[in-house]
Amino acid sequence: MIKNPLKNLGRLAIVLGVLAPFVPLVIWSFSFRWFFPAVLPTEWSLRPWLTVFAPQTRVWIATANSLWIGFGTTFLSILIGIPAGRALGLHQFKGKTVVEFLILAPTIVPALAAAFGIHIMFIRYGLADTRLGVILVHLIPVTPYTVLILSSVFANYNPDYEDQARSLGANPLQVWIYVTIPAILPGIMVAGLFAFIISWSQYILTLLIGGGQVLTLPVLLFSFATSGDSGLTAALSLVFIAPAVIFLLLTSRYLTGQNAALGGFGRV
Amino acid sequence: MKKVFSSLVILLLAITACIGGEEGAVTDPASYNNWEDVVEEARGQTVNWYMWGGQDNINAWVTGYVADNLKEQYDITLNMVPVVDTADAVNKVLGEKQAGRDSDGSVDLIWINGENFRTMRQGDLLYGPWADDLPSGQFVNWDDASVNTDLGFPVDFYESPYGKAQFVMIYDSAKITDPPTTMDGLIEWIQANPGRFTYPAPPDFTGTAFMLHMCYHATGGHEQFLTPFDQAVFDDAWAACWAQLNEIEPFLWRDGSTYPESHAQHDDLFANGEVWFNMAYNPAEASSKVESGQFPETTRTFVFEEGTLANTHYVAIPYNSPNKAAAMVVANFLLSPEAQLSKADTANWGDRPAVDVNRLPADQQTAFNNLPRGVATLSDAELAPFRLPELQADWRVAAERAWETFVLRE
Repeated sequence: MIKNPLKNLGRLAIVLGVLAPFVPLVIWSFSFRWFFPAVLPTEWSLRPWLTVFAPQTRVWIATANSLWIGFGTTFLSILIGIPAGRALGLHQFKGKTVVEFLILAPTIVPALAAAFGIHIMFIRYGLADTRLGVILVHLIPVTPYTVLILSSVFANYNPDYEDQARSLGANPLQVWIYVTIPAILPGIMVAGLFAFIISWSQYILTLLIGGGQVLTLPVLLFSFATSGDSGLTAALSLVFIAPAVIFLLLTSRYLTGQNAALGGFGRV
Repeated sequence: MKKVFSSLVILLLAITACIGGEEGAVTDPASYNNWEDVVEEARGQTVNWYMWGGQDNINAWVTGYVADNLKEQYDITLNMVPVVDTADAVNKVLGEKQAGRDSDGSVDLIWINGENFRTMRQGDLLYGPWADDLPSGQFVNWDDASVNTDLGFPVDFYESPYGKAQFVMIYDSAKITDPPTTMDGLIEWIQANPGRFTYPAPPDFTGTAFMLHMCYHATGGHEQFLTPFDQAVFDDAWAACWAQLNEIEPFLWRDGSTYPESHAQHDDLFANGEVWFNMAYNPAEASSKVESGQFPETTRTFVFEEGTLANTHYVAIPYNSPNKAAAMVVANFLLSPEAQLSKADTANWGDRPAVDVNRLPADQQTAFNNLPRGVATLSDAELAPFRLPELQADWRVAAERAWETFVLRE
């Protein structure tokens, strides 16, 4: 009886803690002439929002590019992450530590260091200034996380189920569809969420490889933030945060820590 | 930080180029018979225009008015690429040259002037000469030294003028009824009102401009420096300027222990009443910020009786642009009386025309004279007599470095 109100209070605190930083952004985004020492704006206006959604601001193009690149990066990194995670999670082999180190290296060495060299190569191959090029370079910071998460998933995965299915006459494809995928699906969702959010918030790699021509939301946001128009920057920030929050909510049930996805984090 | 970053980029590009670079091709000369050929070839092309994207109303004018008209009149697609610093676009072309991409570059047009133009010219990174072939060029006074030289460097038709700017001081008339309009007056005001004045730290574009005003004043006039850079003269004469800036430093915002890092940050301090003066290298900027609610309605501007810096900004075409014809058509459109008029309108941008208004047809002259100016913008008559020339880029760069040594770290 005494436990419940406390638990609810705790939940409330968490929700407030997450939402509180957005309150000033929301106020800024409707403000007009808001100067110190006024606690609230003296005048309100829809100007920032009208500007953000005006075709000249190109928010829609930037959102479409960000989504395209985000999903593309997520898809490719999962495609790499599943076999890599399976090998690292299920098997012991010579040089495993070296492979693990190489996979984690991009989280230690700044991706930017490698990106300059990659940029020169991409210019030669015609990949610079294209969305495909940006996706490929986003894989550098993203892939370590998907591999890490999926190898921890496979570390807790019992491949005997696959043998059982096979002994019951399932072909390799059926084993994948009916046994392996359902078992690791929560892990795929979590890895995908990480991949998407990391790709979504990339700025400097996008700018370098995309050359400013691949306009994503962070690129747009940065160019407005440096202009010092706080109302506009706040409105654009909210647009930028929205999809990440939506995807977080959609996949949140996989993030509870009560399933295999996050179970073996320390075992990689 | 940005400087360090840019230098790092250049260094890395240089290293990579040494390892595997190919020799860059020479700029090809103009090979069109007449303007109709250019317009014909431009049809259907896309122009990637790299430009400083820091001001919303300028961006909106380019992606709206300019892009729509180019599509309609010439079937040209304009893709505005916003950059935080024009040097980023310069580095991009440089990087492509190092990587051997000599014919299919990604930059077709750059909004440029000063040091960046000089860098590109000296690095053979620009296409040209072409600017004298534009039909709209008839409205430009190419005999004007402020047009045919760019911060002391000869333009030689490798860039086409786009607009003109002049430095103005900004203040809030609700706080200061009678602002000091001389340098000495301002220095006195700063000392009488501790903590109420500051300027963005050079090499911020606006901060450097303010510093140069102080230096023109402290060294006894800019006339002695209108020559190529001379280290001995600089060391000797400019010491007076650093002494002057150090003298006012204790009376600046936060006792001069720090400076706003950017023009935008200075804007914030001004808007919130923390400092009482602001400045801009654009006479119409204060008016547009009043209109967008960023500045108080009582914001006004003035120029020093000694004069304020004025310059011209341009557009240039990189040597490896695959869409040179369309880029020239864009430059020509930007110089057309209609575009210059639309650009001069405060509702759009409020930038001063690059064309000589006296050369325009009578009805367009009237249209220019009848443009509403915005509450805080001075008239041409109030601005024109007070223009000061910019020095060659070397002086500017040396002054920016010296400021860090003798003022910031002193």
